[in-house]
Amino acid sequence: MISLAGRDILHSWGKFVFTGIGLGLLIGVTLTMAGVYRGMVDDAQAMLDNSGADLWVVQRNTLGPYAEPSSINDDVDRSIRAMPGVARAANVTYLTMQIGHAGRDVRVMVVGIKAASPGEPGQPPHLIAGRQIVRAHYEAVADVKTGFRLGDVVQVRRNRYKVVGLTSRMVSSGGDPMLFIPLKDAQQAQFLKDSDAIVRQRARTARNPALNPPGNPGMVDAVTASQTSNPYVNAVLVQIKEGFSPDQVAEPIRRWQRLTVYTRAEMEEILVDKLIATSARQIGMFLVILSIVSAAIVAFIIYTLTMGKIREIAVLKLIGTRNRTISFMILQQALGLGLIGFVVGKIAATAWAPIFPKYVLLLSSDSVRGFIAVMVICAIASLLAIRAALRIDPAEAIGG
Amino acid sequence: MADGIRIENLVKTYGEGETAVHALQGVDMHVGPGEVVGLIGPSGSGKSTLLKCLGAVIEPTSGRMTIGEQTIYDNEWKIPDLRALRRDRIGFIFQSPYLIPFLDVTDNVALLPMLAGVTNAKARAHAVELLTALDVAHRAKAMPSQLSGGEQQRVAIARALVSRPPVILADEPTAPLDGERALAVVKILNDMAARYQTAIIIVTHDEKIIPTFKRLYHIRDGRTHEEGGRVEPAS
Repeated sequence: MISLAGRDILHSWGKFVFTGIGLGLLIGVTLTMAGVYRGMVDDAQAMLDNSGADLWVVQRNTLGPYAEPSSINDDVDRSIRAMPGVARAANVTYLTMQIGHAGRDVRVMVVGIKAASPGEPGQPPHLIAGRQIVRAHYEAVADVKTGFRLGDVVQVRRNRYKVVGLTSRMVSSGGDPMLFIPLKDAQQAQFLKDSDAIVRQRARTARNPALNPPGNPGMVDAVTASQTSNPYVNAVLVQIKEGFSPDQVAEPIRRWQRLTVYTRAEMEEILVDKLIATSARQIGMFLVILSIVSAAIVAFIIYTLTMGKIREIAVLKLIGTRNRTISFMILQQALGLGLIGFVVGKIAATAWAPIFPKYVLLLSSDSVRGFIAVMVICAIASLLAIRAALRIDPAEAIGG
Repeated sequence: MADGIRIENLVKTYGEGETAVHALQGVDMHVGPGEVVGLIGPSGSGKSTLLKCLGAVIEPTSGRMTIGEQTIYDNEWKIPDLRALRRDRIGFIFQSPYLIPFLDVTDNVALLPMLAGVTNAKARAHAVELLTALDVAHRAKAMPSQLSGGEQQRVAIARALVSRPPVILADEPTAPLDGERALAVVKILNDMAARYQTAIIIVTHDEKIIPTFKRLYHIRDGRTHEEGGRVEPAS
């Protein structure tokens, strides 16, 4: 059987190819939007995977440390280490901030980790260059996406840090690359004020008779000292011993330490279903709008192409061509257009995904789903043209 | 197929009551196998309606029509599949050739049998045979846009003949052609009618070709009047 649609496409290939390219770029944007969402989910999962933790211990009744602020004392890790089933526990701090470097601003997530503790949860699990942090101060390990190089010196708040190691795929759930620095420095960076603010705070404390009572000069010094130190961290990351389940270890920590503990599954739910849920809905809205726009474009193009062939279709009907043959021809053309569009879109999305500032993950399964969606949209979009073609009166081929 | 196409007392009325338009008011016509007849008439006389009834595109209000020994309409009754009838038993030639622009000459001719389920190779072979008979085989691989008006019309004739229909309806087939080419097309139609024993009805306004018909039907106010024996077909 001759393929009328195929012959028409071959005959007016320029029209189909250029239309397909236009449609393809739209499909490329759609696939990229899906890739952005997948990238966000993957970033979140990578962050959890790379933390090496089985449990996250955070301030009670908070969704910390990533989705909400969380603050717990930095000595809690010791008592957690003594709980049954706990193999390792480590304090961590997280602080997202802007760092100026080499004339540009880099947004990073500063992670405070215990120095010289390889294998502890929270440490960067693999390096692609350099070494881990071994000194208690002023060393840093950076994700390559920061653009920092080994030996670079970067400033975080008032202190300068030398980049001694580079790691990869260590990003926050928002896609910001991580910069690991020693825990004490990170604690200071979170709460340390500038000199003027410290002087004003001291004066304010000294003026307060409750904090500086007459006859007790040592009290104001003690209060000032407590104001300029930070004994808090955002979370304690816990690795559990073999043979224990996460829930089994989490339960006593919740009960006895009066803290909130999240397992890996719960933390993933927080990140994916809560933290990036709004972004996901936003992207979902874009996908819906792009699908509708694609459908409208295909419908308009196929309808216009069909209306341009009224006489030919009338002749085909007059000489006895079945309605289903004509319908199939239009459907095939719509699907052909969708196929060209999808191939162009897939190539475009693959080509431009690495240029995006945030991670764009193009999954094969999304491509398959996208392909099916494009074909379904094209098939639906062709209905208008098919309806118009079937309403063409074969008598139109006969003059008068 | 012994009897060509015959219509008896064919009536077609559009609308009802006071607004009814009586386009055909009892038309009788008979065209035998191998015969070419002309159908002429002024605008609004019912030519197009008659052609559409003959082509099984619209149904008459009453009357009888047969092609060969097959009854197509008999007052209220009609054959169930008019589309298949048009495909297998009636060929059409139009004022403009209306060739399918994205098919080459061979496939334009072979399209109908292909759609009817004949193998592509067999349909194309038959198409080339017809194109050879019509002296356009050398343009078999050309696209319609590359043909002259006369060549396009010959391809359209080949397309009409490809199913070997007992009846061909030609609607002003020479309108876009100059005198010489118009007469050449009429000669081809006469030759084909004789060769394939096809009954051909040519609707025309073309003064150049009217004298070539052995028999001529005038249609006026929805009624036909036969006239015959004018001159020999163009040679």
